[in-house]
Amino acid sequence: MTLGRLATFALAVAALAPAASPGAAQAATAASSARATASASATETLQVPRIAYRERKLANGLTVLSVESHGSPTVSVQVWYHVGGADDPEGKSGFAHLFEHIMFKGSKHMKSEEFDRLTEDVGGENNASTTEDVTAYETVVPSNHLETLLWAEAERLANLRVDEANFRSERAVVQEEYRQRILASPYGLFFETVSTRPYLRHPYRRGVIGSIENLDAASVADVVAFHDTYYRPDNATLIVTGDFEPRQLDAWVDKYFGPIARPKAPLPPRETAEPAWTADRTITVKAPNVPLPAVATVWLAPPVTDADAPALQVAAALLSAGESSRLNQALVYRQQIATQASFSADLRAGPGLLIASAIAAGGRSPAAVRSALLAEVKRLASRPATRGELDKVKTLLLTAAFSSRQTPLGLAAAIGDAAVLGGNPERVNTDLDDLRRVSAADVQRVLRRYVTGAHSVALDYVSEGNAQ
Amino acid sequence: MKLAALLTLLVAATASAQTFDTPPPPAAPRPLTIAAPVEQVLPNGLRVIVAQRDGMPLVTAMLVVLSGSELDPPQLSGLASMTAGLLTQGTRRRTGPEIAAAAETLGGTLDSGAGWGQSLVSITVTTPRLGAALGLVAEVAREPTFAPAELDRLRKQTLDALKVSYADPGTVAGLTAARLAYGSGAWGHPASGTPASLPRIRQADLVALHRATFRPDRAVLILAGDIGAERGVALAKQHFGDWASAAGDAAPPPPAPPTLAPGGPTVAIVDMPAVGQAGVVLALPLPPRQGAERAAADVLDAVLGGGYSSRLSQEVRIKRGLSYAVYSRIEPRGKSGLFQAALQTKNESTAEVVSLLQAEIDRMMQTPVPADELASRKLSLIGGFSRTVETTAGLASAIRSLVTTGRSPAELKTRIAAIEAVGSADVQRYAAAHFGAAGRRLAIAGVADRFADALRAEAPGLVVVAQPQLDLERAEGLRRE
Repeated sequence: MTLGRLATFALAVAALAPAASPGAAQAATAASSARATASASATETLQVPRIAYRERKLANGLTVLSVESHGSPTVSVQVWYHVGGADDPEGKSGFAHLFEHIMFKGSKHMKSEEFDRLTEDVGGENNASTTEDVTAYETVVPSNHLETLLWAEAERLANLRVDEANFRSERAVVQEEYRQRILASPYGLFFETVSTRPYLRHPYRRGVIGSIENLDAASVADVVAFHDTYYRPDNATLIVTGDFEPRQLDAWVDKYFGPIARPKAPLPPRETAEPAWTADRTITVKAPNVPLPAVATVWLAPPVTDADAPALQVAAALLSAGESSRLNQALVYRQQIATQASFSADLRAGPGLLIASAIAAGGRSPAAVRSALLAEVKRLASRPATRGELDKVKTLLLTAAFSSRQTPLGLAAAIGDAAVLGGNPERVNTDLDDLRRVSAADVQRVLRRYVTGAHSVALDYVSEGNAQ
Repeated sequence: MKLAALLTLLVAATASAQTFDTPPPPAAPRPLTIAAPVEQVLPNGLRVIVAQRDGMPLVTAMLVVLSGSELDPPQLSGLASMTAGLLTQGTRRRTGPEIAAAAETLGGTLDSGAGWGQSLVSITVTTPRLGAALGLVAEVAREPTFAPAELDRLRKQTLDALKVSYADPGTVAGLTAARLAYGSGAWGHPASGTPASLPRIRQADLVALHRATFRPDRAVLILAGDIGAERGVALAKQHFGDWASAAGDAAPPPPAPPTLAPGGPTVAIVDMPAVGQAGVVLALPLPPRQGAERAAADVLDAVLGGGYSSRLSQEVRIKRGLSYAVYSRIEPRGKSGLFQAALQTKNESTAEVVSLLQAEIDRMMQTPVPADELASRKLSLIGGFSRTVETTAGLASAIRSLVTTGRSPAELKTRIAAIEAVGSADVQRYAAAHFGAAGRRLAIAGVADRFADALRAEAPGLVVVAQPQLDLERAEGLRRE
């Protein structure tokens, strides 16, 4: 789960009200998609421009990645730290995410919220997000403010200061974020449970948002200790994309980040073991506000860096990318048993999850929905996808990558994902090549290995005291 | 080390330490220039607008019809939305699944929907696939079949989606606030329909609305991204040049601009005993905005609730930790607009945040915005606009917003200057004229017994409706106690 400092603006009445909504896929049979792809080999002609990034390593261990582009007079400055919810202190789940909010509450030479003065107030924007593995601070400013932003990021890396009053008010904000995501959103608790409870031992079991009680247990002293431990140049990657001059950038980076010392103490190791799942398990979650029951079946996935990751991503796209995807066509369109159905490859630095989930249509039982869901997953494992269907989802994935890389913000985020989560910035180029090379047989092989041949956790989400 | 050298080093260190105390100043700005889109009208009346933007080899194609949910008859809320939604679910040549597969084979998703003053079909694809994508857009806009089986399917899906929406306090508060603001008029019903209206919609209703509204002389084709004007117009002619209006009358002119509902409650609570947070929406209908008034209203909205550093966010989130997110916006209703401020908070804090919302709106009316605050919020607004047009989809949407509110696409080019020209006096004048307490409507969805008494003290006319009894079908549905 990704949590951010700022919510996306979602006022109740959307400007456009698509009839039915559920953002879900609705899909096509293999036969019809093959027909629609008469031209075939679509992805072979779709050239993905290589991203020519520059990479530097400062003496203090800071990695600096940059891509120059002058399409608009803006620049994105991002700092990604290799720390996330999986590194929360014991009994203080949700701390890494709370800490992300605190990074905006002042430093030795910046007042609380001064970061907003340097970004929003000059026509830029800032946000930050925390996942299980990574915390990313993402800023966009008019390009003439680049030096100011580099100073500000170096300043809060070197000199974070927060007082008790600011800490408490921001902790209350994060507790409201918990209520909004988990308690008010009808399926918030369901998706939070799905991505945490299946783990037997790995710290991923604790999630990212934590709980009201665990957040109450956190203190300013924890903030200081966490900053000392994890916010250091050798645990950070600085990414700059957009309208800048490379030599000027290097000089400013040396000036503001160069003097920050690398601590002598090594980074603490993270508990990474998750025992093999040796039996199927069942979890039932009851909540007071469940409009329609939901189900999920979850399997363990290999790390995002594994050679099988691209095939799992293509499998997920075949099952649930777009209206023509298999799950949407089968469960939502033909059988009308679900309002939405999805299969996601939630790949992480450590063991991730493969999640098949669906929200029931009115009057349908969780058991019937799960049975239909699993039947489609098994069908893909047992019979190969057609060439046309495979080409379709690869074109969708590549076009989505193009779209997200149009802006300095999206481009820097793609590089951050590759470098920090994937461990190698070059993955920003090779990941798309790897997706293109996935065959129908690869898809079957990984589904048999990680899904049909493995143990799973089944989750039901139902209304309290009310058999729906 | 020699003394002189050591001194030099110390001086250098001191100088550099000083520079670290304060942020370095910005360099000279590099202004953003946005080209005016090129527009051409085809002989059948279709307006074609092409906005070229270099960069990635992507184009967004969007066909917009200039009417939408405001034409829903009183008993048929959701008709425009269902009509637009069903365009992609079957044509004379293809079934719904075949259309979806064809679009996704091109790398895009074919989206269709309706809102206030607009119905549209859009897709984003890589440049080489633009011709094929436009073929699909034309096919679904011109030849939909509205098969009864597809209507039934979409109706059932929409009814299920409403069950989810009605369990979300933020969504419920927003829908309720619009009803409070506009009452029974053409602009106050839920655009996606209600559990009562959806079962009444028949195939003949869809066919009739489509014939009357999907006509080239009521439509605009927007192409944004990696596409030149000449090529864009040629493609438009190829796919839409022989599009003729259906026999029969065009749709009636749009209903009168929305105005504040006379009479009726001003504050409504929807009681949802099981939700862990209350959704709060304050709505305020604005009259049609003319000329410079538009930018003044946008700056007002930016100062009040247009971002993390806005006044509402300062008071509710930053100073008091009462909400994760509080925002305002002006949602177009034709040339008019509905101002809405929205947030979610723990049930117990509801009365406190309502007082804060009201006080901040009062302050906009009573005192001018200080110059530095005005300057920073204007820059923030300009920056947001500039980032929107960085993507093909954002650029197409910016043009859509202009044409669906009766403005020229050339305003893309003058938008920044219009915002820059707004002064504190303009903002205060607009607030004083249009943001008075008499026009404010307030809807809250949450656990009523945790805040109803506190609110009743300030709003004696308040109504409380239990969520299962909430009837958004009619304005009168909010009157039962």
